[in-house]
Amino acid sequence: MKNQTTAPFLERLNFRKNWPGYALLAPAVLAVIALSIYPLLNGIQLSFKHYHIVRQSDSNFNTFSGLANYVKIFTDKNFLLSLSNTAVWTIANLTVQLLLAMLLALALNRNIRGRSIFRTLSLVPWAVPASVAASTFSFLFHPNVGIVNILAVKMGLMDSGVSWLGNVGSAMVCVTIVAIWKGIPFQMIFILAALQGIPEDVYEGAVIDGSNRWNTFWRITLPIIKQPLAIATILNLIGILTSFNIIWLMTEGGPLYSTEIIYTYAYREAFINHNFGTASAASVVLFLIMAVFSVVYLKMVSDDEEE
Amino acid sequence: MHMDKRDRPLNLLVYVFVLLMVTVSISPFVYVIITALKSPEQIYNPDQIWPSYITFANFASVLFQSRFMIYFWNSVEIAVITTAICLVLSIMAAYGLTRYRILGAGQIKLSVLFTRMFPGILLSIPYYIIMQRLKLIDSHLGLIIMYCSFTLPFAIWNICAFFKQIPWELEEAAFIDGCSRVQAFFRIILPVAKPGVFVTALFTFLSCWDEFMYSLIFINSPDKKTIQVGMRDFVGQYSTDWGLLMSAVVLSLIPVILFFMVVQKKLVTGLSAGAVKG
Repeated sequence: MKNQTTAPFLERLNFRKNWPGYALLAPAVLAVIALSIYPLLNGIQLSFKHYHIVRQSDSNFNTFSGLANYVKIFTDKNFLLSLSNTAVWTIANLTVQLLLAMLLALALNRNIRGRSIFRTLSLVPWAVPASVAASTFSFLFHPNVGIVNILAVKMGLMDSGVSWLGNVGSAMVCVTIVAIWKGIPFQMIFILAALQGIPEDVYEGAVIDGSNRWNTFWRITLPIIKQPLAIATILNLIGILTSFNIIWLMTEGGPLYSTEIIYTYAYREAFINHNFGTASAASVVLFLIMAVFSVVYLKMVSDDEEE
Repeated sequence: MHMDKRDRPLNLLVYVFVLLMVTVSISPFVYVIITALKSPEQIYNPDQIWPSYITFANFASVLFQSRFMIYFWNSVEIAVITTAICLVLSIMAAYGLTRYRILGAGQIKLSVLFTRMFPGILLSIPYYIIMQRLKLIDSHLGLIIMYCSFTLPFAIWNICAFFKQIPWELEEAAFIDGCSRVQAFFRIILPVAKPGVFVTALFTFLSCWDEFMYSLIFINSPDKKTIQVGMRDFVGQYSTDWGLLMSAVVLSLIPVILFFMVVQKKLVTGLSAGAVKG
């Protein structure tokens, strides 16, 4: 039995005929292994080592430390705070973005006047680099020269300017607003592309049935766009979990770590506190969270491929 | 969708919503441009939100009296080389995957896609040790290598998606006409695949242009900085020259705007073809 299946299998592979394919694929695959997979494994390994960059002369430098780095971060209140901040940051970003992107996509899918120019203009925040968006909004929120304060003072809402990014109470709200502003178009593009793929006659049936818009959306539109919507949402989620630039450039995770997410915590540990061990441990935690969503994403994409 | 009269109030609501969203999308940049055209006194004067006169002094000083143009060309150089490397490798890989029977082709593609989900911070820590060993800290070559870690998986996946749609009978026809595989590829297939390759190249270029963290970590010399990090020169520890920073922001967006103008129409289909349809 076994021999019967292996023989045609090898024949089907036909290395003599297909070797150029492997040769063409090899450089890219080797590059991906060297550039992503090797550093990933290396990083995971570092998370189990004593690796404090400025203490290279320590006798235990670069030795196995067991779970010490993980114990250290999970007893660090700043890391625990970054975990809860990450949850708040992710949920706030994702729900608001999803809702507004869905509404905007539905609106732009209608036959309104000036649709194509609106469509282009609404993509502006997506096209702008995150670091540029951060500089821009830091300016808009600035206590003295920012338009937010100038207008609020002019309208009599406040007596003098407020340091929106410098207050524990408002910093997280501000960076989240910026991330939402920047994130909506990406999600919207995918939803819009999916909506445009729905043939007209699907809706005609619903009109004949006398179903109203609300029901049509839930019963017809949503089930059809479910798959691309889910894929786009997961991609968006991964982007939100790794959005370093906006937070770092606007608040550096502060004030008092109120905007610190896992990503900025890991960055701080590695490149400000120089502890590569704990930084890797925090990064591995982030990677594990992301891996869950990545696997779901890959599963969906591969199902999509087979269709 | 078709319209009827009961749609009127809804259409008005939709219109107001879209106008509001678009205003929120673009108004920060309208204000950035206005600020870039103001003198320092105007920026600090609440009565000059809408300036009574404009000046190009900020632009002139960013262009001629700062290192901005050095940063600009550094970023162009890094983005162009990274894009070229990624295109060559990903076109080869995609051709191999599409035109030959490769063991586990589907798994290879999904694994490549999976690497794109690795958080940059997790890779940057071992990179720091590796680059130190290779003496590539503070070098553009080091950055180019690291940029490939996130641009290459994207390029491979995207080019594969575009190659799947090519009518490969064209190649067979070229073989019959006496073309070799290489000739057929460059004369027949590449011209057909050009739009997809082009879009992929633009996206790759732009993700290098936008990159900030690796550049912040790995580049120390002032003259080697990339544009996103270099622009922070205008952000002082105690005070920021907002006019200069906003002018730099406007100038740094030039490639982004060009990109937008080129791919605008294909964006909706182009972007989702790679990520959703596979």
